Amino acid sequence: MPTLEYYIILSIILFLIGLFGFLSRRNLIVILISIEIMLNGLIILFAAISYFTKDISGYIIVFFIIAMAAAEAAIGLSLVVLIYKRLRTVYSDEITNFKG
Amino acid sequence: MNWDLIIFYYLAIVMIFSSVFAIFSRHPVYTVLLVLVMIIHQAFLLLTLGAEFLTVVQIIVYAGAILVLFLFVVYLINLRKETKKSVFIRTVSLIGIVFLLLGGLLIKNLLILLSLKPSFKAYLPFTIEEKSNVWWIANYLFKNYLLQFEIIGVVLLVAILGAVFLIRKVKIVEQK
Repeated sequence: MPTLEYYIILSIILFLIGLFGFLSRRNLIVILISIEIMLNGLIILFAAISYFTKDISGYIIVFFIIAMAAAEAAIGLSLVVLIYKRLRTVYSDEITNFKG
Repeated sequence: MNWDLIIFYYLAIVMIFSSVFAIFSRHPVYTVLLVLVMIIHQAFLLLTLGAEFLTVVQIIVYAGAILVLFLFVVYLINLRKETKKSVFIRTVSLIGIVFLLLGGLLIKNLLILLSLKPSFKAYLPFTIEEKSNVWWIANYLFKNYLLQFEIIGVVLLVAILGAVFLIRKVKIVEQK
């Protein structure tokens, strides 16, 4: 049976992969998907701690995280579509309007 | 080596490699499909953690709603061919080195921290009183977390209104 350390290490690895993608990709859609990967790492962490400490609250927090991810994806994708309609690009290093 | 550990290793390796390939892939459609693979494997990982209800919610909401929304936006925005340029920004090597160091340090310190205490034993609390996982989640959600449940409903409503407000017809400003 895998112990809690296995799940924590897996969640840290997934969180770091998502954070790396969030900081280093150019495409705005892939940046939003990287946020989803980070949230999935958090889901594994909460569910594993809830399972190993026999407390049900972690599962409830996972439920709230999934609902929050849906709202975040809707707002983020509408912002990406708005940026594409205004500027005709979805690459983060070509959006240079704020550069003075 | 028992079956639980084999199943965990299979799910973990597939999840890590599919998310790494999703970050490094060139076209966003491949990214969305690889993240779909990762989310389905994570749903089965939640099943091994004794959360059947969250498995079903994960598959319905993530794979059925969120990733399909991403896929529609990828189809809606016709991306130019960017095969020449790199998919990353310019300082990617610096970020990569920092993240390798950070991840190694975090996992090493966490293992030291966890080796000080006796490790937690796996325990199924939800089958003792002949009640299912769904019964326990509903009992806690509607008794102890009712205010948070209604707040998340308001958050979803505001997200819907915000998305409709942002995507309404705007006058596109021509910029020279």
